[in-house]
Amino acid sequence: MALYFFTPFIAIILTILGGGIIFYILGFNPIEALKFYFITPISNLYGLSELLLKATPLCLIAIGLSFCFKSNNWNIGAEGQLTFGAIVGGGVALLFYNQEGFYILPLVIIAGAIGGMIFALIPAILKTYFNTNEILVSLMLVYVSKLLLDYLVVGPWSNPEGFNFPETRQFSDSSRMPLLFEGLRIHAGIFLALAAVMLSWFVLYKTYLGFQIKVSGLSLKTAKYAGFKGKTMILVVFMISGACAGLAGVGEITGPIGQLHRMISPDYGFTAIIVAFLGRLNPFGIIFASLVVALTYLGAETAQIFLQIPKYTGQVFQGMILFFLLASDYLLFFKVKILSLKKNEFRH
Amino acid sequence: MATDLRISNISKIYPGCIANDNVSLQFKSGKIYALLGENGAGKSTLVKILSGVVSPDNGEVFLNEKNLKLSSPLDAKKNKIGMVFQHFNLFETLSVFENLSIDATEDNKSLRVRINEILKKYNFSIDLDVPVLNLSAGQKQKVEIIRCLLRSPKVLIMDEPTSVLTEQETEELFISLKKFCDEGILIIYITHKLKEVLSLCDEVAVMRKGKVVSVSQTQNERVETLANKMVGQKLAKIKKKINISKNKDEIFKVKHLNFYSDDPFETNLVNLNFSVKKGECLGIAGISGNGQNELFQILSGEIITPNTSIIFRNKEIAKLNPKQRREYLMAFSPEDRISQAAVPELKIYENVALNNFKSSNFFEKGLVNEKKIKEHSKKILSDFSVNTDNVELKSQFLSGGNLQKLILGRELITAPELLICYNPTWGLDVGAINYIHETLIKINDQEKSTILISTDTEELLKLSDRIAVIYKGKLSKIMPSEEVTPEKLGVLMGGGSVD
Repeated sequence: MALYFFTPFIAIILTILGGGIIFYILGFNPIEALKFYFITPISNLYGLSELLLKATPLCLIAIGLSFCFKSNNWNIGAEGQLTFGAIVGGGVALLFYNQEGFYILPLVIIAGAIGGMIFALIPAILKTYFNTNEILVSLMLVYVSKLLLDYLVVGPWSNPEGFNFPETRQFSDSSRMPLLFEGLRIHAGIFLALAAVMLSWFVLYKTYLGFQIKVSGLSLKTAKYAGFKGKTMILVVFMISGACAGLAGVGEITGPIGQLHRMISPDYGFTAIIVAFLGRLNPFGIIFASLVVALTYLGAETAQIFLQIPKYTGQVFQGMILFFLLASDYLLFFKVKILSLKKNEFRH
Repeated sequence: MATDLRISNISKIYPGCIANDNVSLQFKSGKIYALLGENGAGKSTLVKILSGVVSPDNGEVFLNEKNLKLSSPLDAKKNKIGMVFQHFNLFETLSVFENLSIDATEDNKSLRVRINEILKKYNFSIDLDVPVLNLSAGQKQKVEIIRCLLRSPKVLIMDEPTSVLTEQETEELFISLKKFCDEGILIIYITHKLKEVLSLCDEVAVMRKGKVVSVSQTQNERVETLANKMVGQKLAKIKKKINISKNKDEIFKVKHLNFYSDDPFETNLVNLNFSVKKGECLGIAGISGNGQNELFQILSGEIITPNTSIIFRNKEIAKLNPKQRREYLMAFSPEDRISQAAVPELKIYENVALNNFKSSNFFEKGLVNEKKIKEHSKKILSDFSVNTDNVELKSQFLSGGNLQKLILGRELITAPELLICYNPTWGLDVGAINYIHETLIKINDQEKSTILISTDTEELLKLSDRIAVIYKGKLSKIMPSEEVTPEKLGVLMGGGSVD
């Protein structure tokens, strides 16, 4: 059991080693390169703020996903829910683009959460009432929302004074997340993430809903036998998950971005799946995992600047984390044995 | 050539339990050996050691005086030790031949020839090219046996082979086993069914708490003597006094129960009608796979069927889910203890919380009331003599018998008016079976009703006031149990008719 929470660390160490090997093959000094990747980005206050900035949406989304994954619902479309949340929240922000008022930001945030929730309800309803596969539906909806966003920022919502750039107007200051420190980009959205962590811990471990999620995740047959309202539960976990992703989307557009454009998320919704599993679907584990994975985003940017390698190495690292995590899990639960096979011993 | 299998001083210790304590046994070909013991007595561990699944902490296995190193199932196969497990390892959607060719070492042509030789020699009639899912349990078992025979085994270990078979299939199996034995294959037969030991085996080793407590010739044993050795104490005989009174109220009434399914693994139910009186036990007999699963799930509310009427205590409950039915004081004990009635990964008290009533207050305003659940769990553990008082223990550490006591306790502590149970003693040892039978009788004595769906005819005859048989989704007429004999039940269970 202790090992169960230990394997994420093994996976991280292996990822760093693997990264070193890749850098070596690419002709870099691996120690130097890794330093650029993992140490340099967070060696100053600005870097730390950027780390938290990137960890915030990852953490929020992963918290939401943990509700789905724990109850055996495979919501892969958080990226779509994030985008749709951002569209709805952004739409509200644009309504108030020339107004100020303390009430605007809460409205925008709520609208974003509701947007994510509604978008997550689509795969949930299709699953509960039409028996569709939520993995496919939620995944495909990602592209729907991205194309919708594309259409909006190019077409009806594009900034009339924006020289046809594919982006909307800037939101008014009242639609922006307050910054925590002057000169740093870290904003109040981090409190949303922390609140989500606390709340999810409470819901998962202290409430009847959490108990139902736990039982359903372990055995659907038992959940049915106990008479849990299976359909309602699926809808609820998808709604929670969608709301979290929607909040993350709103956090991005009202935080660092300040308007809607095509690239509001560097695939946070997909990366958060890795975060959720690296954090063992545990609220506090997810905080830790989101920081680690956020670092791979930052490292990739630094590496691009200092080593002239594409920032997509970040995805390589994220992929490696997931790969090593799954591999360590596999090796944890199974024993490896090297057998000398005579020919004809097995026929495949 | 004669085979001689010797187990010498085998020990295997799991955390908190000694599964095998210095076990030594000797087997010689030409005889059928029974390995008898309650659940948790250490039979399975010993078998797993012999088949290379588990390595012993201590001790050795000798086959014809050669010290075997069994560190994987492959080693067991190489050393000609064959094993037929209780649960079949077959791919349901592949054909029989494809299943057999998966781990074969020769080409398909010669394999087919050899399989046909085996079919002919032992008079097995199996079509090699039909998908396994179309076979009966007995035929599936034969496929497993053929798989072993293809490797010309010296030792054949059968783990609880009759738990899924009909009477007739059991007889066929016994004939085959005797044939194998005559051909010099050493047979080790693992079971907890005493009568089978007496009718099939020559020698019997009884295990209790990880130790071999007796090795004897079966001709010197009787059911009672074996049972006492197995349990380690004298068992009280229980007998129910039949409890039919025509005037009693019908507490539960099912009308027009129909169920149609597209799933080839499910059985359709055709117009079932029956009722249960207050204080009565209605037994439903049948060979497994004749619709019992579906019937149980419909009675418990896991499956809702249209146009069915289920009246319970004068209320229509056919549309209610299991939780709502529990509020009306029904209780359910499904067949599958490990993945349905309880979750092994959950702690005892969490499993107790699965049976959640409004009045139990386990969850107040949506919050978990851990203290209340734990108190309630403690009471169940002591009232139903479950072998632990630690409610924080994960249920996977309970033996089958203790888990079933926990489940029954959980269902009964709320004093339900009707308990529906399905194979409540499946796979349990004599001691636990006795306890559960006593409990079920006690419920009827307290004027509460039970529906007992079971594949164990002995159990049904012992506990039921009235019995019906389910065959291919249809229910026979309901008979008072004193008019029912095992033979009559056997005929009905096989699809025949009486009078």
